[in-house]
Amino acid sequence: MPEDAQELRKARRFLKERLQRDYTTLRGYKEERSNVRQLLQRTAEMGESNSLLLIGPRGAGKTTLINAVLTDLLVNRSFVDNTLIVHLDGNLHTDDRIALKSITVQMRLENAADGKVFGSFAENLAFLLQCLKAGDKKSKSVVFILEEFDLFCTHHNQTLLYNLFDVSQSAQAPICVLGVTCRLDVIELLEKRVKSRFSHRQVFLFPSADQFEAYTKLCQELLLIPSNSELKASADRIDSLHLLKSEALNFNRNHFDGVEYEFDNKFVENWNKHHAKMLKSSQAQKTFQMLYDFDISEAFLKNFIFRLVAQLKPDAPHITVDQLTALSAQYEGDDKIDMLCGLSVLELCLIIAIKHHSEIYDRDPFNFEIVFARFSKFAKISTTMQSVERSIVLKAFEHLRIGELIMPLSNSGVGKVQKEFEMHKMALTYGQIQQAVQRYQALPTEVAQWAQSSLI
Amino acid sequence: SRLAEGTPRRSIQLSNIVEQRVFKDNEIISTPKRGRKTKSIEDADADYSPRSVQKTPTRTRRISATAKSTVTPIRGTAATSASAAPITPSQKLKKIRAGELSPSMQQRSGKPVDESRKSQLQLAREQLHVSVVPKSLPCREKEFENIYSFLEGKIQDQCGGCMYVSGVPGTGKTATVTGVIRTLQRLVSQDKLADFDFLEINGMRLTEPRQAYVQIYKQLTGKTVSWEHAHTLLEKRFTTPAPRRVTTVLLVDELDILCNRRQDVVYNLLDWPTKSAARLVVVTIANTMDLPERLLMGKVTSRLGLTRLTFQPYTHKQLQEIVTARLGGSEAFKGEAVQLVARKVAAVSGDARRALDICRRATEIADTARDKCVTMLHVQQALGEMIASAKVQAIKNCSRLEQIFLQAVAAEVTRTGVEESTFMGVYTQVETIAAFMGVSLPPPGRALRLCAKLGAERLIISEHSRNDLFQKILLNVSADDIHYALRVGEIAAAN
Repeated sequence: MPEDAQELRKARRFLKERLQRDYTTLRGYKEERSNVRQLLQRTAEMGESNSLLLIGPRGAGKTTLINAVLTDLLVNRSFVDNTLIVHLDGNLHTDDRIALKSITVQMRLENAADGKVFGSFAENLAFLLQCLKAGDKKSKSVVFILEEFDLFCTHHNQTLLYNLFDVSQSAQAPICVLGVTCRLDVIELLEKRVKSRFSHRQVFLFPSADQFEAYTKLCQELLLIPSNSELKASADRIDSLHLLKSEALNFNRNHFDGVEYEFDNKFVENWNKHHAKMLKSSQAQKTFQMLYDFDISEAFLKNFIFRLVAQLKPDAPHITVDQLTALSAQYEGDDKIDMLCGLSVLELCLIIAIKHHSEIYDRDPFNFEIVFARFSKFAKISTTMQSVERSIVLKAFEHLRIGELIMPLSNSGVGKVQKEFEMHKMALTYGQIQQAVQRYQALPTEVAQWAQSSLI
Repeated sequence: SRLAEGTPRRSIQLSNIVEQRVFKDNEIISTPKRGRKTKSIEDADADYSPRSVQKTPTRTRRISATAKSTVTPIRGTAATSASAAPITPSQKLKKIRAGELSPSMQQRSGKPVDESRKSQLQLAREQLHVSVVPKSLPCREKEFENIYSFLEGKIQDQCGGCMYVSGVPGTGKTATVTGVIRTLQRLVSQDKLADFDFLEINGMRLTEPRQAYVQIYKQLTGKTVSWEHAHTLLEKRFTTPAPRRVTTVLLVDELDILCNRRQDVVYNLLDWPTKSAARLVVVTIANTMDLPERLLMGKVTSRLGLTRLTFQPYTHKQLQEIVTARLGGSEAFKGEAVQLVARKVAAVSGDARRALDICRRATEIADTARDKCVTMLHVQQALGEMIASAKVQAIKNCSRLEQIFLQAVAAEVTRTGVEESTFMGVYTQVETIAAFMGVSLPPPGRALRLCAKLGAERLIISEHSRNDLFQKILLNVSADDIHYALRVGEIAAAN
């Protein structure tokens, strides 16, 4: 049925885009969200100066929280007219010089013209401070959003942080400094005068999917298709943002937009019923429990579901439990064992020789000669490895080395020691080697037997 | 040479000369001065003066390109000072450097909220903001007296001198000194004291120590020049005697930042007062009490002198007094609530900023709870938030395998007895614990991911994952915290 295929393609695109580009929908975190929102609102309306640190593990929705708060506030005309928003990122603004130029451009100060800033670093700093000092309660509030805040702490003397916090603690233009970081001990990185000027408000974002039920509910939410009315409501919200055309939101140009999608009611009903049932099954629950045990963050789950959704095809129009378990098996698998299974028999023999050496000498380092001697002892009595030359074994050894299955003891000694005599260590556990030997396709019996015991 | 290690030499005089020659002063064209920056004056001459009429093709093209886009954004009050003709960025920069263009901020469209419409809590919150410095600082009368008599004496005697003020952050050093200066300036306006200039620099507001010359000179004349030039001009001003020179008071905040290895800036700043022509009084502020002995060279320490003053951290009584003085007659705070804040903060640092911030947070909490008055409970909550230790919370909110990993690190530390363990040892412990708890074991590759995630949060300190099985792992939380977080969780789950 071509209509169904059409509908399915639409659903797949819808789900994918919602997973990837929905930057503003935040689930949970009611209290934290209202805390940040009120703080920004007071900065904008009352002209208060504030500072805040948003801390939480990676993938916990820190940036999404800020995006969500900003989208809420930017609908408000009085907020838009009275605030400038300056985004900084520690990964991009790697020193104060670059950060300062970016601030000058984003605040549209007078020494910037069309994105180009004039004057030296010292002049820029002096000019920015003068501008902020010239401001008072009547001037616009500036909201500085510093992502990867811990990287700003590594800058020279922490000049930028000192000055931002200093402005927030003196009677100048009202500013709000919002730091976002994943490090819990970030305050310890601040110098003591910077620390004293920071207001010590910290908002911690720990994923509240503390219970497994909440996690499965989140799975459902990510996988099911909402009704048309819900779609319309979210589309309206996004539209109001597009109308603002604010520069403060750099994501609104390419945001997920529900308005493009309208689904056949029957299809949606069918889809949701099937997938709700699928998610309830014990097999699916087990899979999600496995994911949940490993990582409770939403980012991880989204990644998993994206791979699941990408498997939808017209001839397989629903996600089945089998697909789910197959994918989870991929997540559970060990990449190094896969790598071992891709080695040649000679290389695997070397690995086994290394393993025997490690077992006998309790993980002592080894070099090529040691391994080659142990291997030659085996090759002499084996029927298949008789005619292997030394240079070929050396090549195989080098192959293992660049695959980082074995690693040199130190990087510095490369030039001094000949490569046959350089000491190495093995970056594998015995369990991994054992599994690889079991799983290896068409391994000669001799090698399999030798892997069991080092006695020949 | 000396020039080589300072700011890149970019003398304003030089570029002004060049500009005057090339553009005949008033033409409205400009080129970004990129290429010219490094050239010496001879080069610039050779380049520009003979060919100022017949320009090379590339040059004309560039100029026409910039001339087309001469739409300069003009905003704020500065727009009034600009004429109707559009100004090019470089002309604007010239004006900024000459101090003719006052920097401004964009203005609000609406009016600020009316005072009378604010609630009692809101008023209290505004009064408690750190930026609202009171006219006279409570609990710093003695220090005020000390600095006042020093400065007044120096101004009246018309001689130079130095003073060193130290104390931990947030103990009212800068506020007291500027308060003294304000009082003296009031006296001057009433003709009770000889006139004096007041200059002020802050080490942390400079990108490098030598920019201090630029800032000082800028406060004297309003012009921005290169540091070499500013240095010579200041040297000239302070070393040559001039009749009717008024006394200059120079406040140097964050002195330790101005110290570099050569210490030439600090030396100059402290050497000028010794010249009889200068009539310069320098007040230096820093945090550490023994900075002159620890960091400064002998000759600099000697010039800094022994007139010193130390600001002690506030005690709980003083902090209480500060907060109640801020609140005025307002009933927004319960007395015991203020006392609790003062006692908690005084026990940690004696930082007034901290006490005021906590009080402000408490008013916010009371606001959201729709209470009229801040009570003990609100303060308790604010203290919990702001003297936060979220490590236990973080461990509780880890995933199950992360928790097992943390337990394994703690177990490995107990087993080996040393703090630092390798990933391999930890992984063996993970195997054991996972087998004991009946959880499926993650392969080492995924365990490395757990390790990296915990390392990003700083619950553990780990090396780069490239070291694979041999990376070293340190526990960043105490082992007791792990046990507490996981055991208490278990007990709660059992009930």
